[in-house]
Amino acid sequence: MLVAARLCRSKSMAHLSQKLEKGAAKAAPAAAVYSVRRPRSAAAKKMFPYLLVGPAVLYLLAITLYPGLFAMYQSLFVVKFVNWSWAGLGNYTRIVQDREFWAALGNTAIIGGLSLSLQTIIAMTVAFFCYRDPFVRGWRIIFLMPMLFMPSAVAFIWKLAFNDGRVISDLLMSLGLASNNVDWLSSVWLARLTLIVADVWQWTPFLFIIFVGALQGQDEEIEEAARLDGASWSSIFWNISLPMMRPIIVVAVTLRGIDITTMFTNVYIMTQGTPGGATETMSYFIYRQGFRMFNFGYASAASVLMLLITIVVAQTIVKRAFKSGKS
Amino acid sequence: MASIRKSGGDNLLVRYIILVSWTLVCVVPILWFLTIGFRPRTEIIVPEPIYWPTWSLDAWRLLVSDWPIALYLRNSVVAVAGSVVIDLVLAIPAAFALARYEFKGREDIGFYILSTRMMAPAIVAVPIFFLFRNIGLLDSVWALMLIYAAINLSLVTWIIRSYMLDIPKELEDAARTDGAGDLTILWEIMIPACLPGIITAAVIAAIFAINEFLFTLLIASTSKAYTMSVALANFTGGSDGVIYNAIALVSFIAFAPILILVILIQKHLSRGLTMGAVKG
Repeated sequence: MLVAARLCRSKSMAHLSQKLEKGAAKAAPAAAVYSVRRPRSAAAKKMFPYLLVGPAVLYLLAITLYPGLFAMYQSLFVVKFVNWSWAGLGNYTRIVQDREFWAALGNTAIIGGLSLSLQTIIAMTVAFFCYRDPFVRGWRIIFLMPMLFMPSAVAFIWKLAFNDGRVISDLLMSLGLASNNVDWLSSVWLARLTLIVADVWQWTPFLFIIFVGALQGQDEEIEEAARLDGASWSSIFWNISLPMMRPIIVVAVTLRGIDITTMFTNVYIMTQGTPGGATETMSYFIYRQGFRMFNFGYASAASVLMLLITIVVAQTIVKRAFKSGKS
Repeated sequence: MASIRKSGGDNLLVRYIILVSWTLVCVVPILWFLTIGFRPRTEIIVPEPIYWPTWSLDAWRLLVSDWPIALYLRNSVVAVAGSVVIDLVLAIPAAFALARYEFKGREDIGFYILSTRMMAPAIVAVPIFFLFRNIGLLDSVWALMLIYAAINLSLVTWIIRSYMLDIPKELEDAARTDGAGDLTILWEIMIPACLPGIITAAVIAAIFAINEFLFTLLIASTSKAYTMSVALANFTGGSDGVIYNAIALVSFIAFAPILILVILIQKHLSRGLTMGAVKG
């Protein structure tokens, strides 16, 4: 039976390719190779796409909806190991007055915002300067390399360079930019800077590869025409390339932005939130509340608030970004 | 030579200064970290950085004698490969439905799948931890496999969907007139035709799975289930501090296969990374 079915299939494929070769795919008369095929009822036909998409959706629901509901439920309790005591909205009233929670939200916005802007500018500059370069293939794979390291490894590279190995301080001193060893974890902005450097170094390639692809896809003739009209390269960039790339930039920056707001690994390895919580991101806040202080109810309340923010952002910015990206 | 004249900036010098300096920024930290992997521990955490080390294989000996590096590697491979298989099995039919069928709620279902990619891992960290604790899967590679599959499912579905949208409908119509059923069309026509998309999706999913840190940290509580990514964070020896040379070696062990995979799918990378939104 199985063999027969397989034979059937390969036979039809042979038919198909023959027809395509003849270039008369549609005009050829229908050959009834599939004798086993039963016509399906209208209802079954209607159900079919749901059956295809169902398993994936169920899997995702299990890993997003269930945890979401669980977090909402747990956020109404004070959890001490196995003891859950009802707290109503107590966790929420506490959290909106928690200075650390708002600081984490602010830090995520500051570190993420600065890092994302820097990445976008650098990636755009480098992409614009090399997209018609004859050696661009070679450049491209080199520029990609930082992205191909495990993020935990990248965090250690920069932890060593900034703190433990004092390499950056040493380089700054030999350039005359610093007079003595810089303690990067001693000041709010220096500590944040180390996180930004690590993130920019690793993820600028993500934006770069997308921008280069977009620039290479643009119409060379328009560019050439503008050049013959005497347009400078900067005006070509602002008036031709940039508008053409806008939808792509929106998609790429949105995706990168989502990932930056979830920053955890670098904080965990490089700063652990020091000094005084100045580098604690939302993800690290939830982790610390849940898995360091074992305030699971409280951590869940923070998760629910972060989920609400995510849903709002997803429904507005991201939906629009992907709609415009497709067109 | 014409292509040089046409390129980005008009000024060759400015262009090459920018390109060369960014190349240095990308490459120098990597080369320096490579030297870390081949020097003794006494030359790493020092008041004055040592740029030219005494070469040694200390880190390698340490890795083999003190850490079950083969186990970490095996855990990574099993969890990552398993998760990619789960993703493909679930995502290919889903992508087929989203790309080729008209049905009520298609847009919403597609967007729901996409939106799971935006969820910060930390949001579900606590519930997922409780979930796996309750079903007794903490500290298990299987749990990691399930998690990695979930993280990447949206990405894989959207990438494959995008490639399926590009396949001309005529191919299908021809098969349909031959009497081919829906599943036959998926298996015989769609999958072979969008194989580059499927491979791209699998490679990108594998990279993200290898990189995953937070869930692995929470679920793998002993070295029984450590992957390479999290094992790094545990290369500390009490008073010795962080053991950087071992970390460097392990990170290059993970880097090499990823580099090869990425070179293989280079042409499809920007499309894959944007989940199909950008046809690079």
